[in-house]
Amino acid sequence: MPIDPAVQSLQLLVDLPFREGYVRSIVSVSLYVSLIAVALSTLFSIPVAVVLGFNDFPGKGLVKAVINTGMGFPSVVVGLVVLFAVSNQGPLGSLNLLFTKQAMILSQFVLATPPITAISLAAITGVDEDVRDAARALGGTRLDAALVVLKEARYGIATAVLAGFGRAISEVGSVLIVGGNITGADGISKTRTLTTAIQLEARQGQYGTAMVLGGVLLALVLLINAIVVRFGDWGVQR
Amino acid sequence: MLRATAVSRSYGETVVFENLSIDVEPGEVVAVIGPSGIGKTTLLRTLALSLEPDEGTVSFDGTDAWEVDDPDRLALRRRIGMVFQAASLFDAPVARNVEYGLRVRRSWPERIRAELRSLVAPSGTADAVRDALDIVGLDDKRAQHVESLSAGEAQRVSFARAVAYDPDVLLLDEPTSDLDPRNTAVIEDAIAEARDRRIGVVVATHDMYQAERVADRVAVLLDGGVTEVGPTERVFDDPRDPRTRRFIDGELVY
Repeated sequence: MPIDPAVQSLQLLVDLPFREGYVRSIVSVSLYVSLIAVALSTLFSIPVAVVLGFNDFPGKGLVKAVINTGMGFPSVVVGLVVLFAVSNQGPLGSLNLLFTKQAMILSQFVLATPPITAISLAAITGVDEDVRDAARALGGTRLDAALVVLKEARYGIATAVLAGFGRAISEVGSVLIVGGNITGADGISKTRTLTTAIQLEARQGQYGTAMVLGGVLLALVLLINAIVVRFGDWGVQR
Repeated sequence: MLRATAVSRSYGETVVFENLSIDVEPGEVVAVIGPSGIGKTTLLRTLALSLEPDEGTVSFDGTDAWEVDDPDRLALRRRIGMVFQAASLFDAPVARNVEYGLRVRRSWPERIRAELRSLVAPSGTADAVRDALDIVGLDDKRAQHVESLSAGEAQRVSFARAVAYDPDVLLLDEPTSDLDPRNTAVIEDAIAEARDRRIGVVVATHDMYQAERVADRVAVLLDGGVTEVGPTERVFDDPRDPRTRRFIDGELVY
């Protein structure tokens, strides 16, 4: 009787057949790349969303259309473009980024920025204009009014960051292309992430191992979600 | 004190008002009455220095507010309190809303220090905040989140928020149009309290009975301009402009 993959993966969790440090190194590469990419993306996206939300200028519709289109960028295409950019002949070739974590961060930044910007922008424009007017009328500067709007939009912005993180950490195509899914001779991950490891294990027929890694990935995403939602509640003293 | 002289304002082709003049002195309540949609809100925003008039001047104690540079105009704006038709409260506890005006007047290092301190040890409510909430009878609600307030209470918090930083002028845009009689009475008492504190109050309203109750002077806004300004009693009993007379008669019958 063939062993059910679920049972098999439970056995693996107990036995942990991985080389010591292997899973930990994959998790840390995944988190390192995704967290840094999403942090950079957030730092870039929120000011852009504030500027777009607070100002009207010719071509604003076009900018928003480009951002919305960016949400649908196929990740393998982004990976390919970043691969060309960081390859020896590419514009960033001199930085020697090919098959490094930095290249993976770059491609995840490109993938995470459109959803974070678009969802933040929707949250910011969704804040009642009266609230912005009130901040100004009570003696606030433009910066004060922007801070009030950001605070009112904090749940939407938290959702935006989560969406960006979700896209980054669950992404396979581009990190495989620009990162190369590499481990060192000691079996410790250099550019192997949870997703690329799962893809590799599954292709080799190691379904149990793949499922354990999948469970770890799922648990990580849930944990980060919980932290961000909790974070969104800070500053509200009910 | 705060004076608009011969101001005009249009949105595109639509003229809201032309050649309009109005002023308010300390300790005086001026009611701007007129039908809905006539431009009372635009006039109040012009007085609040948040909207630049197309023509004419707005001056505060003799200083033309649109001739000075931005920091000076901000300083003038900060002597004005404003209450909107909708309460427009921030998603935070009552006291946090009321202290907003005080908070933005502090320097950034002070503000950051105060925020950090309040994270470690929640400090007591500032006297100015309690005093402002006292005017509208809501001091006991200062720790509540604004979500738990009724519409009337929310508007009273909005009033407290505008007087907490002790402005010289208070601009009220239809402050009671969505309220029940009890909350309306609280706001009207608070207007009287503001006058006693030597604040100049301009209240836009379409309720002529309210204007009669609270105002020392009335400005009647009709057809893109003020048709008549004068002491409340005189304007209601003996309007000099035939348009004012028609408006008042029509409303009073209704």
